[in-house]
Amino acid sequence: MRLGEPARMQAAINITPLVDVVLVLLIIFMVMAPQMRKGPDVNLPNTTKPNSQGDERGRILVSIDEAGGLWINDRPVAPDHFDESLRSAVGAETNPKIVIRGDAKLNFREVWEVMVAIEQAGFRGVGLIAKRAGAEGK
Amino acid sequence: MQFNSNDFGSNLQSEINITPLVDVVLVLLIIFMVVVPLLMEGYDVDIPRASADTSAQVAESQLILSIGSRACPILTPPAGQGIPKDCQVTLADQKIPVAELPARVASMLGGRPAEQRALFLAVDDRLNYEGVLRIIDLAKSGVEDLKIEFVAAN
Repeated sequence: MRLGEPARMQAAINITPLVDVVLVLLIIFMVMAPQMRKGPDVNLPNTTKPNSQGDERGRILVSIDEAGGLWINDRPVAPDHFDESLRSAVGAETNPKIVIRGDAKLNFREVWEVMVAIEQAGFRGVGLIAKRAGAEGK
Repeated sequence: MQFNSNDFGSNLQSEINITPLVDVVLVLLIIFMVVVPLLMEGYDVDIPRASADTSAQVAESQLILSIGSRACPILTPPAGQGIPKDCQVTLADQKIPVAELPARVASMLGGRPAEQRALFLAVDDRLNYEGVLRIIDLAKSGVEDLKIEFVAAN
């Protein structure tokens, strides 16, 4: 039995530090994740079957908050400067994908005006972001 | 000192090594936690060109869905899910209850080739945005790959 003992002592790797580090990483990402979201908090409309609009990164996010204020990505913009702000947000990207995050309480007119403004800035096709009914999140 | 086969076996495989398992599972968890909140869902729509060709396009045999604020009075976000039953919409100049919309759109556009499946929406300015999106959602539920294009409401 003596011969077997040293082998038993080193048989298992001590996973405690590993789990420790990984859990700390997990907590860091949990804390960071809400802050990585671009733009203001918008109460998105609830629908049953929205299609995937892909990842938030790589999209130009135009948000319209409850009060009708405009945001491009994470900056509020004045309606007068919407065009130039949008163009500078797009930069040199050749095929930008623009999505509108509109608040559920808005009138259609406010969303329509933003769509027209996006079109006048020279872009075609937008995604209207909704939230799948019953899904968590904002 | 008895090296019988049982002792050997228990020494060598006494535990499954769960370290890689834990590792992989936790990394997957982190990846999903970071990516999932950033994924978005919604509806692709087109906006009309300000140039003149829009009116000519619309005048052809395009299927127009008009949503008026009088026939479909959704002026505040609809409660719960779905669309209020009293909502009526006008599809190709025909007034229909909104519940019939998926079937009507499917019968009118289902036979067309995919690239011609377009629904033109003329939406009253005063309607609630959420209500409009729910009607779009309903219209799309009948036909796959339905293209939505907004036109100016009169």
